[in-house]
Amino acid sequence: MLLIVLAGTTILAFALAPPAEVVRGFFRLQVTPARLLSDFTSSEGEGAALLNAAVVAGLSLLLVRISGIRLSGPTIAAVFTILGFGLFGKTPLNTAPIVLGTWIAARIAGKRLRDYILIAMFGTALGPIVTLVALELGLALALGWAVALGGGILTGILLPPAAIAILRLHQGYSLYNVGLTTGFLGLFAAALAFGRQSQPPGLAIWNVTPSVGLVLLIPGISLLLIVAGIVAGDKQTFAGLGVLITQPGRLPSDFMDVSGTSSVLVNMGVMGLLFWGYSMAVGAPLNGPVLGGILTVMGFAAFGKHPLNTWPIVAGVVVAALAFGHELAAPGVILAALFCTTLAPIAGEFGIHVGFIAGFLHLLIVLRSGAWHAGLTLYNNGFAGGLTAALIVAVIDWIRSNRPERVVSRRGSYQDTHGEDQ
Amino acid sequence: MNRREFVGQLISEMTHYVLDADPQRMVISLHQESDGLHLAVLDSVVRTEDELDSIRSSLNQTRRPELAGYYASLAGYDSLGSARLNLVGWQVKGADVSVSDSGTKIDIWLGGDQFDSSSFSIDDNEK
Repeated sequence: MLLIVLAGTTILAFALAPPAEVVRGFFRLQVTPARLLSDFTSSEGEGAALLNAAVVAGLSLLLVRISGIRLSGPTIAAVFTILGFGLFGKTPLNTAPIVLGTWIAARIAGKRLRDYILIAMFGTALGPIVTLVALELGLALALGWAVALGGGILTGILLPPAAIAILRLHQGYSLYNVGLTTGFLGLFAAALAFGRQSQPPGLAIWNVTPSVGLVLLIPGISLLLIVAGIVAGDKQTFAGLGVLITQPGRLPSDFMDVSGTSSVLVNMGVMGLLFWGYSMAVGAPLNGPVLGGILTVMGFAAFGKHPLNTWPIVAGVVVAALAFGHELAAPGVILAALFCTTLAPIAGEFGIHVGFIAGFLHLLIVLRSGAWHAGLTLYNNGFAGGLTAALIVAVIDWIRSNRPERVVSRRGSYQDTHGEDQ
Repeated sequence: MNRREFVGQLISEMTHYVLDADPQRMVISLHQESDGLHLAVLDSVVRTEDELDSIRSSLNQTRRPELAGYYASLAGYDSLGSARLNLVGWQVKGADVSVSDSGTKIDIWLGGDQFDSSSFSIDDNEK
């Protein structure tokens, strides 16, 4: 199914522009600054962006195969995320050093790349560090690329220890854990890169007139997934869906293990249609970043997200946007409405109200956090979502730890946790 | 992660699981060798056959190195949600789950392929 999606994306790429133009654009994207927000569908054309997305996602799929990892919820989430971010930031060239660095980290730890493959795949969000050093700091060509590749490799080495430590900070309640990790590392990278010069503003390349081909990409993939799920699973599909939508979605929740492949395919398709419909309803352009957001939602519909644990978060973002006078179709807001679903486990575990508060807080943070790391991590929403999750988890943990709990003591009388007999 | 931290995480997650069932008694026994270890967890909770099967399937997972090397590090760090035995299952060689005299006994084995778990299982008299 993934191969069909990638093949379809490639075919669409060549249908939207002349082949020579698509290929030339693809190669130019490899040496294009990729910090947020760089909509590749605008900078080098929709065909080149789609080809870049298909190639970088195809390479990640190849990496999964070579590593001997079976295709499952987390790997599907990673491939769909990379496909989406291939439209606005990730290229084969700027992601390769990160993966190489993570492989080196695995060797240092006496492990194999397959042990860290998810960190490597999601960690490619720091690809803009490579293009920043090579293209934006004014270094000579050879020196720039040498330092860029070295910096990318070093970044990849730092990812596993940071990702594992940060995972415990929010206890798995933010699905984009590597987003928080890359934001954390991005702060150091930005400080280092701009230590001797002023930090430039973020890029603002945003395609406002996407073609019909781009607009219909998500419905096409979604319907394909839904039909495939229903045909493959028969009645079991819907029974599995019933189980799936009761899951909190906390990391790591492989929905394929929980409810089976066919149910996951339908969930992915439904989530794609829902968030595509939302984007259309608020008048957002279906450009590279918006498609990237929807594709990421679809990928994580195999690994933690479903309609019931995502809508409270989105509702929080929408209300926050309206309360603070932001347009729902503005770039930062529409991307927050899509990527805020990283907080789905908060709603899934603690309920609608807490989920709503999480979404509300998320928007306030994410509109500021991009400047902190100069757009060097493509997962700015993952960064902000991770911070939000860490705060909420800390507060709930504190409340629950300090709330007197009535238990039945072995003596048969009631006793609270402070040791006072009732 | 060193061995002490790793074993501590496994014990913590197993403790979390057992305490979720509010037992009157819990005993954790650890036997370490250079090439493997045996962790026995006994409690006073009488579980149904379905519950025992659920424990067995969670602790005897198919190999998931991509999850074991990353997300399984959450084992022992769940202060809010319910315990998740699959975090343990991804990291161990296997587990046996049985009914003891007064509750449930869970034997967890770790070690390489050369590790002979039968050479140092808990003596029947200690159960």
